[in-house]
Amino acid sequence: MLSILIQKELKNILLSPKFFATFLVCSILILISIFIGINEYNNSVLQYQTNQQIAQQDIEQATGWMQVRNLLHREPTPMQIFVSGLHFDVGRVSGISSFDDVKLVRSPYSDETLFAIFRFIDFAFIVQVVLSLFAILFTYDAINGERENGTLKLAFSNPVSRVQYLFSKFAGTWLGLIIPLLIPIMIGLLLVIVFGVPVSESDWIRIIGLIGLSILYVTFFIGIGLFISSVTRKSSLSFLLLLVIWISGVLILPRMGVMAAGQIVDIESVAQIEAKQEAFERERWESYSASLSEIWGEREQEMEGMTEEERRAYRDEKEWEWLEVDDAARKQVQSDIIENNRTLLEESQNRKKVQEQLAFNLARISPVSSFRLAAMNLAGTDIDMKSRYEESMRQYKDEFTKFTERKQAESGNSGGFRIEVDSNEGVKLDFGRNDQTLDTSDMPRYSAPVVQAGTSFGNSILDFGLLIVFIIATFGGSFFAFLRYDMR
Amino acid sequence: MQNETIKQAPLLEARNLTKVYEDGVKALDNLQLTVHPGEIFAMLGGNGAGKTTTINIFLDFIQPTSGNAFINGIDANSDPLEAKKNVAFVSENVQLYPNFTAMQNVDFFVRLGGKSQYKRSDYEDALVRVGLQREAFDKKLKDFSKGMRQKCGIAIAILKDAPAILLDEPTSGLDPKAGKEFTRLVGDLRDEGKAILMSTHDIFRAKEISDHVGILNAGVLVARKTNAELKGVNLEELYVEYMAGYMEEVGEPSALINNLS
Repeated sequence: MLSILIQKELKNILLSPKFFATFLVCSILILISIFIGINEYNNSVLQYQTNQQIAQQDIEQATGWMQVRNLLHREPTPMQIFVSGLHFDVGRVSGISSFDDVKLVRSPYSDETLFAIFRFIDFAFIVQVVLSLFAILFTYDAINGERENGTLKLAFSNPVSRVQYLFSKFAGTWLGLIIPLLIPIMIGLLLVIVFGVPVSESDWIRIIGLIGLSILYVTFFIGIGLFISSVTRKSSLSFLLLLVIWISGVLILPRMGVMAAGQIVDIESVAQIEAKQEAFERERWESYSASLSEIWGEREQEMEGMTEEERRAYRDEKEWEWLEVDDAARKQVQSDIIENNRTLLEESQNRKKVQEQLAFNLARISPVSSFRLAAMNLAGTDIDMKSRYEESMRQYKDEFTKFTERKQAESGNSGGFRIEVDSNEGVKLDFGRNDQTLDTSDMPRYSAPVVQAGTSFGNSILDFGLLIVFIIATFGGSFFAFLRYDMR
Repeated sequence: MQNETIKQAPLLEARNLTKVYEDGVKALDNLQLTVHPGEIFAMLGGNGAGKTTTINIFLDFIQPTSGNAFINGIDANSDPLEAKKNVAFVSENVQLYPNFTAMQNVDFFVRLGGKSQYKRSDYEDALVRVGLQREAFDKKLKDFSKGMRQKCGIAIAILKDAPAILLDEPTSGLDPKAGKEFTRLVGDLRDEGKAILMSTHDIFRAKEISDHVGILNAGVLVARKTNAELKGVNLEELYVEYMAGYMEEVGEPSALINNLS
């Protein structure tokens, strides 16, 4: 009985114009998206390699190791083809020098603003927006539409159980939606192989995870569609309700979560933090000046009644002791200021983390957020991508700074250059290294941070779990509603 | 003697069937009716008289407030899956899947009814029997007229081969020719031993083919006559009288109805 019902559902969907439209739209979108993604990835790799070479040449042509300003570039990942996440928004390059902090700048969209207007549509976006809409289109009249048509009565004049009927509705619709999802993505993956994109074993595991996640996400929308169709009598009403739910879930709730988190956890702006730092600094220096005046007053008192000669002798005797005391006090002030700055920054960063976490948790009220966050985590283009890169670059910076200091000490070269102006020979630059390039053979190499597939799945487990909970809730609701559904 | 008892056992039986809807409307009031093998029972009555409610209870689409509906001796509301194996249903406006052909629709609903042994030739025979033209067999239902859909519906009922058949205003909206064909088919099914319960507004057809006619008024079976008893009665006049009484909803029932009751 169940197989008869499932066959009918599947056949009914496969023969319907909406299946044709879904298959066509999904195929076009997914294939174009992957094709553009591959091109974009190849361009990014080319740009990355060129930039690396230029950076290498710049290092070799520096006048000395202390003058070297290394540039590190964020490495493109094949996963950005499927889930661009924050790839286009996070900077691609950071300078590495002992004077500046690491900061990724020049994102792809800041360099090419035109593409920021019409953002890249990736596979995750297609699933998130397009397939969820089609899932609604497939299910909004699954139950009430059959009631309106009269086929529900005819079907249930036969020995059909409601549980079997609803399950067949789910299975038929599910298969009808998974086909337009899987066939284009399989062809897309074939394109990835044909175009020689270096997809690692870990990436393949992530891609399989991403497809699984997409299927879970689509399943949720089938569940909500069946639920709404089972609690309403008219398909026009269920379509309207589902549209409202879709708009809320896809467009409103995730943003509201972020906005609410912004209201709940207040974060000071950079200007406010700097003002606080300056105030503390001023107060400490003023206090230092006051204590210094006091100390000097005490010293004057110690010398009271002494002759000028005795005073000079006393001052000469105490000079180093007093200097050490004064210097210690000054260093204490400096240390306090540095410590205060660090604490303020750390507090701000901690609050930012709390705000981020709260924003994500509030946004997760919508399964759309769970899908988005899990997809970005799986692809490694998540919100931590920037900090992950900057942290690894900072570690490299320490290593690199030590290396340059050692090389500088070994060469004994100040790294400066001499300009000679001769009326006959003109201007002559002398770099003091006989026009030889710096030997970078033993220079430490930067390695991009590697996130294991297992770690990515671990980071996504909450969102996978939430999607499963949402699916169980919607299907439980659908079965409960359909068992009480008035067939007439 | 025992064989006669088995022969007489009703295939459709409403026993003290009462239905009060949530809004307080009493759709059926202590309805008693039986339909035996080889019988057609026509329920006549205006809108809201309780005809469709009776059929809905037999199909377990709604639960009775009290009383029971039996199909082949099985309680339709406590064991609906078993009871529905013994009944076929044709609605007022048969709606099938528009993207399927007539053949695909028949195949699905017949298999849903538990009959999977049929071949295409069996489906063709049934469709020919109901008068559907051969060239329509493999056409999609979206292009079918109401009459053609009704023919498919009755073909499905024939192929299900259930001992009892429920017809909910099956000739409503059909042209006279299609109505006549339909009547002939229902008569044939009765002759094959099916027990048929039919709700209808069509008093002429009811009189023409029914073995029993019952008139429902506000959920009460106010009149019940055999075909033989109706021979001397102008059923049209009776029905108009009844409708007048029903429309007024006040006063005593007409003398004619009283006589019949």
